[in-house]
Amino acid sequence: MNNRFHKMAIPYLIWLYALALIPTIFMFFLIFFDMEGLDFDEIKITLKNFAQLTESSTLIALWNSIKYAFLSTIICIILGYITAYFLYKSHFKNKFLILTILILPMWSNLLLRTQALASIMEPHNIITSLLHLNPNTQEGLAGKGIAVVIGLVFTYLPFMILPIYTALEKIEPMLEEASLDLGTTEFKTFFRVTLPLSFKGIVTGSVMVFLPCMSGFAIPEILGKGNIVMIGNIIEQFFKNMNYNIGSLLAIVILLLILVSIALVNKFDKEGETIL
Amino acid sequence: MERKVKISPLSGKEIATMAEYGYHNFAILKKILKIIGIITVILVAIILYLSIIIIFIYSVNSSGSTTEFKSFTFKWYFKITEHRMLFKSIINTFVVSITATLISTFLGTLIAIGVFNSNLKRRKRIMLLNNIPLLNADIVTGISLMLIFSLLLKIFPYIFGFPTLLIAHVYFTLPYVILNVLPKLSDIDPNLMDAALDLGVKPRKALFKVILPAIRNGVLSGMLMAFTMSFDDFVISYFTTGNGFDNLSIWIYGSIGRKDLTPAVYAFNSIVIFGAMLILLFANIISIKNQKRKIK
Repeated sequence: MNNRFHKMAIPYLIWLYALALIPTIFMFFLIFFDMEGLDFDEIKITLKNFAQLTESSTLIALWNSIKYAFLSTIICIILGYITAYFLYKSHFKNKFLILTILILPMWSNLLLRTQALASIMEPHNIITSLLHLNPNTQEGLAGKGIAVVIGLVFTYLPFMILPIYTALEKIEPMLEEASLDLGTTEFKTFFRVTLPLSFKGIVTGSVMVFLPCMSGFAIPEILGKGNIVMIGNIIEQFFKNMNYNIGSLLAIVILLLILVSIALVNKFDKEGETIL
Repeated sequence: MERKVKISPLSGKEIATMAEYGYHNFAILKKILKIIGIITVILVAIILYLSIIIIFIYSVNSSGSTTEFKSFTFKWYFKITEHRMLFKSIINTFVVSITATLISTFLGTLIAIGVFNSNLKRRKRIMLLNNIPLLNADIVTGISLMLIFSLLLKIFPYIFGFPTLLIAHVYFTLPYVILNVLPKLSDIDPNLMDAALDLGVKPRKALFKVILPAIRNGVLSGMLMAFTMSFDDFVISYFTTGNGFDNLSIWIYGSIGRKDLTPAVYAFNSIVIFGAMLILLFANIISIKNQKRKIK
């Protein structure tokens, strides 16, 4: 192709440096300072921001984030793999329609969906009203940890199904036939051929579910009713209160977890074929 | 364990059972697994669509309450435009996401062509950086952009609002367009461009007449993905907007906090879902027809 076109990529490189790299470096700097908002006049070099990392509120939030994100990811893997495998094995090969069914719910506003979920977790809700059920006196799920896990699974499940389905679809069907011809049972074929070959889909899906689950703040806030605090909520609070230094520190903690996850995806899926 | 012994009626010797030959009867287990599979798929369908159905019920509930169903009505659908703040945030959402999608589709396609023609070293560097907006947590992306925009505040005092929101949306939608276009570029016959140039077409014209039609599908799917991401974004918008310029997500978040969410927003959401369903079904029918034509 024409080699003059390569110049069109240069502005994008500058754009990415300016909006992706520089702010990250800037956040690293902010960690070591103490100031009001972004007021550089009264700037002090300090290490006291790091004390926030050992505060019990931060540790509880971090533990909550990891616990709920991990639980949601496991549930998503189980439900997602079975669904993706079912779709792959069914003779329903219209991939576009499958994609449509999975993507359509995402067009609905995330916060509105979460709010709808929160409202039917109350003991008095629209379903009991429609079915004329006697609302049982026991308290609803809202405000409990399980409500947050349900919300996270309901929101991020499609992000697990899609990569696994993509990975399954790329398996050469002849490999399974060969395995069966060579005398393994269907179960052994699944565990020795299909599962290892679709493993990169599971890794990509897990990262795509785990990261937003861990770092989000809207779902725990709406479904947790203030009882469940995750690391995203704390970061949001610090930034709202113009404490950019500690906020940046906690954001960097998340960033480190993200880097580990990206390294994981790169290890298992070198071409990045299951990401999109 | 005592072994069942079968004696052959002909030779009077023992016969090995099927299990001893290594055959296991999995018929029952298979049936159980199939039932588990069907139950899971039904469960997943409920998971995906429950909240949409609930939202639809709220949108046709005349009492406007989320706990009590009174009677069926369409009145909330006419109140979308009446609620001033809601309507404003809807307009803002459309303006930002349509502008951002158009900008990133146009620039993303050009950038993808540029990246494709770059040398390997630069290509690798760009693709590595290109993953940052894609894989980074929304909250970190939002904070990073907010910090950069705050630094610009001294030069442009009124930057927060529409300009920052637009830049942020272009920033996180560009990678989707690029990643959708790049694979289509590698599918093009490299001689195609040379042929066009040999025939005396200027490079810029060849770009539009030869390359663009060949990568059309990639551009369109990138555009669709960019719009979906931009339309539904909350976290990045929340951190990068300002001066009262709210998109729908930010407005909903504020309303949930104040506990005065109007049912009109459920009506709007149901319209969006219904519209998207129609568009996607229509696209699906077209793609099936195209496939049939190819087979013929």
